[in-house]
Amino acid sequence: MKPEKARLVLAGLKEAGVNFAAGVPDAQFIQVYRMVAADPDIRYVGTANEAEAAGVAMGAWFGGMRPALIIATSGLLVATYHLARINLLHEVPLLIVIPYRGDLGDPRWMGLYQKTTEPALKAMDIPYRVVTRSADIARTIKDCQESARAWLRCAAVLLTEEALW
Amino acid sequence: MVTRFALLKELASIIPDDILIVASIGNNSGFWGQIKDRESNLLHVTMGMCSATALGLALALPDRRVIALDADGNLTLNLGVLGTVANESPKNLTIIVMDNGNYLGSHKDEPGMPTATGGKMNLEGVGRQCGIASSSTVQDVESFRDKVQSALSRPGPHLIDARIEALDSDRPARAKRIADPRQNKYQFANYIEKAAGVQIIGGGLGNFG
Repeated sequence: MKPEKARLVLAGLKEAGVNFAAGVPDAQFIQVYRMVAADPDIRYVGTANEAEAAGVAMGAWFGGMRPALIIATSGLLVATYHLARINLLHEVPLLIVIPYRGDLGDPRWMGLYQKTTEPALKAMDIPYRVVTRSADIARTIKDCQESARAWLRCAAVLLTEEALW
Repeated sequence: MVTRFALLKELASIIPDDILIVASIGNNSGFWGQIKDRESNLLHVTMGMCSATALGLALALPDRRVIALDADGNLTLNLGVLGTVANESPKNLTIIVMDNGNYLGSHKDEPGMPTATGGKMNLEGVGRQCGIASSSTVQDVESFRDKVQSALSRPGPHLIDARIEALDSDRPARAKRIADPRQNKYQFANYIEKAAGVQIIGGGLGNFG
């Protein structure tokens, strides 16, 4: 992943007012994690798994922060139970940013996650946008954050290989 | 061995009103909501999420003391959170584990299936080895009171493993309806907005930003 693409993700998070982030690093997205963790305006908490990260992010929201959950497609599966509770029962808005490995155009064969990611989000009634152009990264993150906050529900941004690499 | 109800009554009698409580689902929330109904309670936090949510809250509000009212089955589902708590080291966080050593025992006339702590697992030792130096075990009201008061007067994080009876042989009367997760969300968020001067709920529909 090129640093300028990672900077677009960071810019989107900052435009969206994100000041707290939690997650588990994804090897293909590591530049974003490093930038987020190093950013003085964002408190990053690295967790042991993505379900734990969802809980940490919910707690931060109740403390007045604007949290983002930055997780891999595999991590979405790990976090599904907690995200379902957060979105459907508590109705707490978390911005979820996912590098969407496995979509068409991805040089790696990660077909498992192409089959699971969007159906999982739909099953949890979490609206999402798939971003395929770098130029749309920052705007889409900001839009999803604003909708999440207004609707009091989670929203996800799926960043494909075409947009990121 | 002491009961959950006895320890929660003791907790209610000693904690200041401004302590934020994050309570796990089941009888921790059900009992606590009856014993100490207050705006500063965040209830019904599900399996594997209680201490994580309390951690996020504690990091967001470093000037407010936070207690996670967790349970053994809930905590062990996401035990890695103890390592995260140790590394983040929030001075304002205390985790109290109502450790009855079994699943669903609190809802039955007989104990459910054992949790890991119903076997060989020792949460005090786990907490300490995760890096939470202030980890302890209590088995009666007096030591529970001492550990809680000590935790609230010293920098954390703290972990208190409260070994309780497998069954809730005594319990509060059902005198009131406990707020559901959405109602509780608004109560708690509105309280934090007023108490901490932060915006949580947002502008609402039609008011982005």
